[in-house]
Amino acid sequence: MSELLEVQDLQTRFKVRKGYVYAVNGVSFRLEEGETLAVVGESGCGKSVTMLSLVRLLPPAGRIESGQVLLRGDDLLALDQRQLRDVRGGQVGMIFQDPMTSLNPFINIGTQMAEPLLYHRGMSKKDALARSAELLEMVGIPDGVARLREYPHQFSGGMRQRVMIAMAMSCEPSVLIADEPTTALDVTIQAQIVELVKELRDRSGVAVIWITHDLSVVAGIADRVIVMYAGYIVEEAPVDAIFEDPRHPYTVGLLGALPSLGGETGTRLTTIGGAPPDLAELPTFCPFHTRCPFVIDRCRSENPMLEPVSGASDRGHRAACWVDIRGVTEQTGGTVATEQ
Amino acid sequence: MTTQELSGPATFSTVEASRSNLWKDALARLAANRLAVVGIIPIILLFFIAIFGPYLTPYDFLAQDFTARLAPPSSVHWLGTDELGRDVFSRILYGARTAVSVGVISTVISLVVGIIMGSLAGYLGGRVDMMVVWLTDVTRSMPALLLAIVINLTLKVPLEAWLEQMYLQTKNTFFRQTMWVDLVLVFGALALIQWPGYARLIRGQILSIRSRNYVLAARALGMPTNRILTRYVIPNAMGPLIVAVSAGLGGAMVLESAFSFLGVGVQLPIPSWGKMISDGLRLWQTHSYLLVGPAAMMAIITVSFAWLGDGLNDALNPRQWKE
Amino acid sequence: MSQTDTLNDRTLVRVEGLTKHFSVRIGAYGETKATVHALDDVSFTVKRGETLGLVGESGCGKSTAGLTLLQLHTPTSGKVFFEDTEVTGLADKEMRPLRQKMQIIFQDPYSTLSPRMTIGNAIGEPLWLHNLATEQGGQERIAELLGQVGLNPAFAFRYPHEFSGGQRQRVCIARALACEPEFIVCDEPISALDVSIQAQIINLLQDLQEAYHLTYLFIAHDLAVVRHISDRVAVMYLGRVVEMAPKDRLFDNPLHPYTHALLQAVPVPNPRQERQREHTVIRGNVPSAINPPSGCRFHPRCPLAFEPCDHVVPEWREVESDHWVACHAV
Repeated sequence: MSELLEVQDLQTRFKVRKGYVYAVNGVSFRLEEGETLAVVGESGCGKSVTMLSLVRLLPPAGRIESGQVLLRGDDLLALDQRQLRDVRGGQVGMIFQDPMTSLNPFINIGTQMAEPLLYHRGMSKKDALARSAELLEMVGIPDGVARLREYPHQFSGGMRQRVMIAMAMSCEPSVLIADEPTTALDVTIQAQIVELVKELRDRSGVAVIWITHDLSVVAGIADRVIVMYAGYIVEEAPVDAIFEDPRHPYTVGLLGALPSLGGETGTRLTTIGGAPPDLAELPTFCPFHTRCPFVIDRCRSENPMLEPVSGASDRGHRAACWVDIRGVTEQTGGTVATEQ
Repeated sequence: MTTQELSGPATFSTVEASRSNLWKDALARLAANRLAVVGIIPIILLFFIAIFGPYLTPYDFLAQDFTARLAPPSSVHWLGTDELGRDVFSRILYGARTAVSVGVISTVISLVVGIIMGSLAGYLGGRVDMMVVWLTDVTRSMPALLLAIVINLTLKVPLEAWLEQMYLQTKNTFFRQTMWVDLVLVFGALALIQWPGYARLIRGQILSIRSRNYVLAARALGMPTNRILTRYVIPNAMGPLIVAVSAGLGGAMVLESAFSFLGVGVQLPIPSWGKMISDGLRLWQTHSYLLVGPAAMMAIITVSFAWLGDGLNDALNPRQWKE
Repeated sequence: MSQTDTLNDRTLVRVEGLTKHFSVRIGAYGETKATVHALDDVSFTVKRGETLGLVGESGCGKSTAGLTLLQLHTPTSGKVFFEDTEVTGLADKEMRPLRQKMQIIFQDPYSTLSPRMTIGNAIGEPLWLHNLATEQGGQERIAELLGQVGLNPAFAFRYPHEFSGGQRQRVCIARALACEPEFIVCDEPISALDVSIQAQIINLLQDLQEAYHLTYLFIAHDLAVVRHISDRVAVMYLGRVVEMAPKDRLFDNPLHPYTHALLQAVPVPNPRQERQREHTVIRGNVPSAINPPSGCRFHPRCPLAFEPCDHVVPEWREVESDHWVACHAV
């Protein structure tokens, strides 16, 4: 595998009425060719803002303060608008959470699907429509030619998400960014979409960045996982290590908060007390320390960097924590108890 | 657990939230809105003049100075005098009274009608709703000024005849004052033009609030309907209504001037800015100062109400706090 | 838990053939009248002290079931009993004392609190309405309730917009508790919340259940959550209950093909298991409730469908003790 995307020290903040919201605070990560990277975190952790920053699709109040986004060596943050448009929808395909509002209700599916092909590929209208029909069948919508003439309201939520995926994949991108693509969908439809993306990925070799708040979905699709909290990456590891050997207290807490379908009955869920911090200023402490059961004095005065963890099975396993929590979790049997 | 709940706001949405009450918050936001504050000052001044104007004017609005007819602005007559030698400045101050009383009274009438019709439509739904909506649509489809002219032309003569008859029958001098006819017609026309707006607003508010979950929650608690209305529906419908009333007041004052300008307004000895503008217009090439005063007042008041309405809209909109 | 179960193993709420149809107008000008079969012939019981989970995908009628049970929708037909009282058909006034005993917590904590009422007043409303406290005693009770749901009693004078979703849901729980209810319908109470906050609310609901011997109807779409919190689980599909059983039996040995498919679709939070697991994905979408399929409503998507499924409605029967299912193939 070779490197496809490298993000270095990305910082994004939003101007609000009283100052700034520091949404992304120095995020660095890499994506290999054909790899699936899951980005996990709760609302407001900066996961979506990070991905929107990559292709510079931030709302007007947002500003990228620093950083580099190297896609096969080209810095996306240095491109002009025209070059950037070639990247969006060309090399980088995107799908969003809400398939209901991502499609224009007044234009039929065929015209919308043909658009990127006409623009990025310079195809003729006829070829673009033919290719769109193929794409629809590829994402599991039979009778593609007929359905191209239909309008978005004639498609169900799951079907619309399939259309969005078909559009994102139409120019054979090297990266597919999926921002909570299954959150608005029912569980059986979610399973269909996950299977579809896995299948497309295996067939075309596209690298996938899958943004989600749902750790269970991650287990089935990701190769590597990034956990974000308060605009920082707090842990990064191969998927097995995240679930079996989590090293950041927040990751431990998230895993404990998941009820399992396997069903150990009668147990209490472990919770993370309190709520995420206010991002109105850059913390000079660990942003998780107010909710952390392992907190030590150092956490209150210094913000830990993301560093390789000791004794990990994989060299890519990094966490941002002053405490080596392994010993502590073993003592309490993996339960995070809140003590003050 | 309790101590942790205290620590820090939870999400972006609450970062900005302050700790005081909603109306205070709204007021603070309003005070922070420069245009709204600039708009409030002339409005307060207008109401002040309307109430205390007669004590402030250098001259009576009727006092004629035959030696100084059509005199240009001077230290004696700050804004000059009109054809009959009346002091323009004094008349403008008195005009505020007409503007404010017409604005307030017609707004109150149309508000009452609008609230009744709107709540009936919103609550009863079905045929009543269809009727009210149809009625508002019909009224709103007619040009306001045309409506006023038609009302004036068709009702003025019969009404005056009726008053005359009443006087002959009762010998009550009350019926001799024909200025009531003008007032009733102006208020009636303004109310007729304005009630559909309030009715539609109230109806929309009720329909939307009725489907809110907090009303469902109140029903689940066993709350009786009248209590749901007074405790949940009405307080939540207030914000948009306040905004609409602010805009409506300004609108009514402008309309009254337009009526007077067209000669279907209040034919009173009391000056009206619209009447002054229409009188001044005849002489504007030679005596433009007659026009400047009342026209400037109209413009200032219109803009002020618009700014205040905008400010209120922003201040009372709960979405604003979230962002 | 097991002790109270045996002591109070009797029915608190009984639902018999509950049906709710909504009439809507469709077409560009609303020219066609149509009927939404939101809830069709649903029967179940909730035992005192237990949690009955009600799961299904969006549009399956699970929320309608909760609202109709509480008479917040007027049922088209069917009966609901609370203890021995029939609540269907009661006038508002007769219903009021029962409302105190039967409460609800809604999904969206943002819209269930009036933005113009302090949370103290929101919690106080039911106290004063049902004469559970005097004006003065109310303040103490409000503080106590806030403490019980893990909020600072000093918050009573604040407005909902100052709180996060999780905190608001706690306020809603306190408001329901203020009625001193016996039965609470939890209508997707955690779906709008973040994972770590979800766990807090689940734990809180369980603690309160234990402290006040509450009975829950827990409506949710997340099967893992339902398994965690419920004693028995009912699965709904397109307006009908298709299977109901004690949770372990339902999750370990589902009989209805839809339950089976639903369980297959849930991702397992374990990468190794997830890689080995068989991924048979159920095909197609949930059909419209305006024109639901005849016979068994699941038959167009069912891998086991055979001759009678498309025209005979399967009977709702108890195939083994306490395990109910509606399927021709079982």
